[in-house]
Amino acid sequence: MRDDSDEDSEATATLTSIRVGDGPGFSGEAYEPWLFQTMLNELSERELGVGFIYSILDLFANRHQLTDVAVVLVNEGFGTQMFRLGGEAVTTDMAAHLNASPGVYCEPDTVPAAECDAVRTACQLALSLHLARFSAAHDPLTNISNRRSFDEALEVAAARSARYGWAFTLVLVDLNSFKAVNDKFGHEFGDHLLRQFGFALRQAVRQGDTAARVGGDEFAVILSNAEGHESSGFTERLKGHLVALGNAIEFTTGTATSPRDSTDPSELLRMADARLYEKKGIRIA
Amino acid sequence: MMSRTEEDFELELRSLPGVLNVGITKHSNGNVNVVTLVANSKDPLATRSAATQIASLYYPEAAVVVEDANRTLNDARGEGPRVALIRADYDTTDGFCEVQLSVDGRTGIGRAGSGPLIGGAEATLAALRDLGYDVPYSLMTVTNVTNGRDWPVIVTLRSLANDADRFGIARSEDDLVSAVKATLDSLNRFLSTLEQRGL
Repeated sequence: MRDDSDEDSEATATLTSIRVGDGPGFSGEAYEPWLFQTMLNELSERELGVGFIYSILDLFANRHQLTDVAVVLVNEGFGTQMFRLGGEAVTTDMAAHLNASPGVYCEPDTVPAAECDAVRTACQLALSLHLARFSAAHDPLTNISNRRSFDEALEVAAARSARYGWAFTLVLVDLNSFKAVNDKFGHEFGDHLLRQFGFALRQAVRQGDTAARVGGDEFAVILSNAEGHESSGFTERLKGHLVALGNAIEFTTGTATSPRDSTDPSELLRMADARLYEKKGIRIA
Repeated sequence: MMSRTEEDFELELRSLPGVLNVGITKHSNGNVNVVTLVANSKDPLATRSAATQIASLYYPEAAVVVEDANRTLNDARGEGPRVALIRADYDTTDGFCEVQLSVDGRTGIGRAGSGPLIGGAEATLAALRDLGYDVPYSLMTVTNVTNGRDWPVIVTLRSLANDADRFGIARSEDDLVSAVKATLDSLNRFLSTLEQRGL
């Protein structure tokens, strides 16, 4: 076994038993030009994320002619996370050994600890940035878009509609009697229903559509390239998926279509909201 | 290079409680085939259920396997990694059975050109060999106890070294899956011995 304090032992053990570069973090001495350049290249093309970790491991393995490499990270949001060269699963045997502490595990063990440290730090950064980006755009309960990213998507859709005449339909969805369900069965059950509803919503939308949770029990969907009457297809799909999940909760929708109704996001929201409450009013009456 | 969708898919899986690692296997056509999670979870079934839901949103065809990271501790007590069935398909057009198995994060595929019963057993043996197991047995019989649903299938394997037979029995939702599970059942002890010997 080799670690920072035992760098000269033989590199004959398997990946599961080798640990390198689990020091306190990135330091000036650990500066790695190839890694810095890779990060710059990656940043110029896209944001750092999980894919970057695999890119780095691939480059790292090629650079040092490693047959296998894995990095173990500890993230505040996720706990311990392991990534292996090529996106391969680690074996349970490896998992038990790698679970010990964060670091880069190489086979064969020929890489200076400082470079491993730099790789681990870069991977840690990429995972943290990806998680931060995902959390900023998604509702944590349902994993669909949150209000903020929905507003951005609506702005973009409306601007395209105004400029090119591309149609889209905004659907606001409100759960019926959700407050009563929450009061009667408790918030835990209410959260379960919301998670199921979010899942059904994700199943019901098509690729290119946007589904979001915009309030406690309020959801919104942007149906791309869809006129108002096409929203009935979406509603039917949503009902079907809810039935499949055994979720009996009912909902009411209100729609507005761009550019026919308006190309102003605020106006579209107002119209869809008014139609939703008009329906609710009819239901009550 | 991973797409944003692939990245978010993996991130969602990693956000499930106890998940330590995600491995994604793709078909030669690029479609995601198997998603393997290594989890230190108190409830692996719940983890698998949640992961299957997530996978169904991104890659409806993908099979989901959850490996228990705690199992290594059990291995020390004599329980080896278990071979798990990922999928079993019977193509009625070409009459081929295809079986995919998984053990310890690895997957193996076997095909056989017979009906669901014999084909299922033969494809299972082929999948085990694809996983790297040396299985010195040949298929003797596959018997469906009756021609009805919910009745067990019995598989008999004969050793290539001597005439010692192994029997396995399983009852499942259809003949194909029953044949696969009965074949695995017949080899259960033999595979455990191989694992313990590191073969």
